[in-house]
Amino acid sequence: MKFAPLILKHLRKNWLRTLSTVLAMAVCIFLICTLQTVVDAVNYGLHLGNASRLVTRHYVSLVFNLPNSYKNKIAAIPGVQNTTINNWFGGIYRGDMKYFFPNMAVEPEPFLQIYPEAMLPEDQKQAWLHDGRGCIIGRKLAEKWGWKVGDHFQLESFIPPYRVGKPFDFIVDGIFDTDPVKYPGWDLTAMYFNYKYLYEATGQRAGVGTITELIDDPKNAGRISKAIDAEFENSDVQTKTETEQAFRASFIAMAGNLALLLNGIGLAVAFTILLVTANTMSIAVRERQQEIGVLKTLGFPSGLVMALVLIEALLLGLMGGALGLILAGGAIHALPNVPFIGDVVSQFPGLGLSPKIVFYGLGAALLLGLLAGLVPALLAYRARITEVLRQV
Amino acid sequence: MSATEVANKTTAVSVQNVRKFYQRDSMQIKVLDGLNLEVPQGEFLALMGPSGSGKTTLLNLIAGIDRATSGRVVVAGTELGSLSEGQLAKWRSRNVGFIFQFYNLIPVLNALENVELPLLLSPLSKRERRERAMTALRIVGLADRSKHYPGQLSGGQEQRVAIARAVVTDPTVLVADEPTGDLDHQSAEEILDLMQTFNQEFGKTIVMVTHDPRAAARAHVQRHLDKGVLTN
Repeated sequence: MKFAPLILKHLRKNWLRTLSTVLAMAVCIFLICTLQTVVDAVNYGLHLGNASRLVTRHYVSLVFNLPNSYKNKIAAIPGVQNTTINNWFGGIYRGDMKYFFPNMAVEPEPFLQIYPEAMLPEDQKQAWLHDGRGCIIGRKLAEKWGWKVGDHFQLESFIPPYRVGKPFDFIVDGIFDTDPVKYPGWDLTAMYFNYKYLYEATGQRAGVGTITELIDDPKNAGRISKAIDAEFENSDVQTKTETEQAFRASFIAMAGNLALLLNGIGLAVAFTILLVTANTMSIAVRERQQEIGVLKTLGFPSGLVMALVLIEALLLGLMGGALGLILAGGAIHALPNVPFIGDVVSQFPGLGLSPKIVFYGLGAALLLGLLAGLVPALLAYRARITEVLRQV
Repeated sequence: MSATEVANKTTAVSVQNVRKFYQRDSMQIKVLDGLNLEVPQGEFLALMGPSGSGKTTLLNLIAGIDRATSGRVVVAGTELGSLSEGQLAKWRSRNVGFIFQFYNLIPVLNALENVELPLLLSPLSKRERRERAMTALRIVGLADRSKHYPGQLSGGQEQRVAIARAVVTDPTVLVADEPTGDLDHQSAEEILDLMQTFNQEFGKTIVMVTHDPRAAARAHVQRHLDKGVLTN
C-alpha cells in the first residue's frame, strides 16, 4: 500500500496514455464479455429441449418441406403418442424486419397437448381451437405491442410459397404465459396460429416444415427416431428425426459455428489490445529508465521494481476490465430493445452478464495486463543501475 | 559481527587493490587498476581527475551500485563483494546516500514524497516517515516547498531536495557525483555549505566526485585520479 502513490501518480501523470490504454482494454473486455454472453445464451438454449419430444424434418435441409401425408404415418409408429405440424411462417409485422417476432403455424389441439409450456386460460384455449384465423401470442409479445384478446393484426411472410398477394389477418384468441421454473427459456415473444389457415390460404400449397412428436419415454428416443426415418427410407423424401435438443443445435449450426466465430473475434481483439498495451507499457518503462535506476540506487530490490511495473499494468487491466464490464452490462441490457437483433437474442433465455462472465472478463483483463506488463517488468528487473543512469 | 563485517570501524571506506574492467565487444577496457583508498569516518573527500579517469566508477563501487572485477571494497564495515544483489540493495538503503549531478528526483512525486521514498523500504509508519522527511527538508531549508513538484523548483532547490533524500535514512556515507555540476555559482555554494554542514555537524563521511576546484576546496582531502590510478 505504501507504494500506491508512486504507481497511481504515474498513471495520473500520463493520464491521456492511461485513458487510451484503459479504453482499449475496456473495448476488448466489452467485446469478449458481450460475445461470450451471447454464446452462453445460445448454448443454454440448446439444452432446453424436452427429452420427450422429437422433431422430424427433410433429410437434406429445413428449407425443403415434407409431404402432408407423413404426419399420419409417423403418428402410427409405436411409441409416438402425439404429433403436430410445426411450420416456420416467417411473417413480418408492418412489412418491416425490425418488427420481426417468431411465428409458427401449428395444429392447435396437439400443439397444446405436446407443449404444456404454453399456459393459457381454458376459455382462450377453447377460442383458439375453434377459430381458424385465431392465434395465441406470448405475454411479452402482447405487452410489446399492447395487444389484447380479440385484437387483430396482419403478417406478411417473406417465404415465397406463403406469399399470397395480401397479408394474413390474425385474431388474438389467447395470451399464453409459462412457468419459468418448470420451463425455463420458453419464448414468450412467439406467436402460434392454425396450420389449417396457412394450408388453405396458400391454395393447399403449404407443405410441412417439421413434425414434432411426443413420445412415450425419452429412453426410446433413439429407437423411435430410427423407426420414423426407416419408414421413409425408400421414399422420394427422406427424413431426419432427432431430439428437440439436437434439432435446436442443428438449427443454430445453420448459421455456422457461432461459438467459434464469436470467440475468434474476441481472441483477435484481445491479441491486438495485448500488443497495444504491451507497447504502451514498454514505452512507459523506457521513459522511466532513470527513475528505475534511482529507485535501485536508493535500495529498492529489483524484484520490488519489477512488481511496481507489474502492478501498474495490472491496474490498467483492472480499470479497463471494470469499464468493459460496465459497458458490456449496459449493452447486454439494451440488446433486447435493438430492432430485429433484440427479437432474435431475446429468444435466448438467461441473456445477462452472469457472475461467470464477470469473473471471466476480469480474469481476461488481469491476464492481458499481466502479459502486457511482463516484458517491461522484466526489463526493469534486469536494468543495471550504472547503465540506465549513464543514459541520462 | 557477521563474516562480511570488518572490525575497523574508524575507516568508513576501504578500497583495497581494486581493479575494474569493462568488456566492450572483444575489447577489455581497464578503468581502475589496483587502486587503494582509505577514507576515515567523518572525512570529506573530493575525488578529482579528467573525464574517463575512473572517478565515477570508483564512486559507484563505494556506493555499492557496481562491483569490482577484483580486490576488496569495504564500506561501513561491510565487504561489498560478498553480498548478493538483494543484500547489496538492502545495504545501500541503510548505509549510503547518493547525490546525483542532475538531482534525479522522481517527477511525479512532490518534494516531501521524494524525500520519503527511501524510507518506504523501512518498517516506519506513514506518520514517522512523513515526520522524518519533513525534518530532512527543514534541515535543507525547504520545508515550505514540501508540496512542490520537481518541475516547480529551481535547480538548487532540486539538489537540496536530493540531499534531503540522501540523508533521510541517516546513512554512514554520502556519495556525490558532481553535485554542483549543473548549478550556478550561488546555488553551488549553498549546496556545498549544506554538504559541509552534514559533514561537520552530523559527522557524515562524504565522498564527492567533482571537476570544480572550488567545490574540491571545501573537502578535507583532495585525491586525484588519472587512468584508473590515484596520483596523490
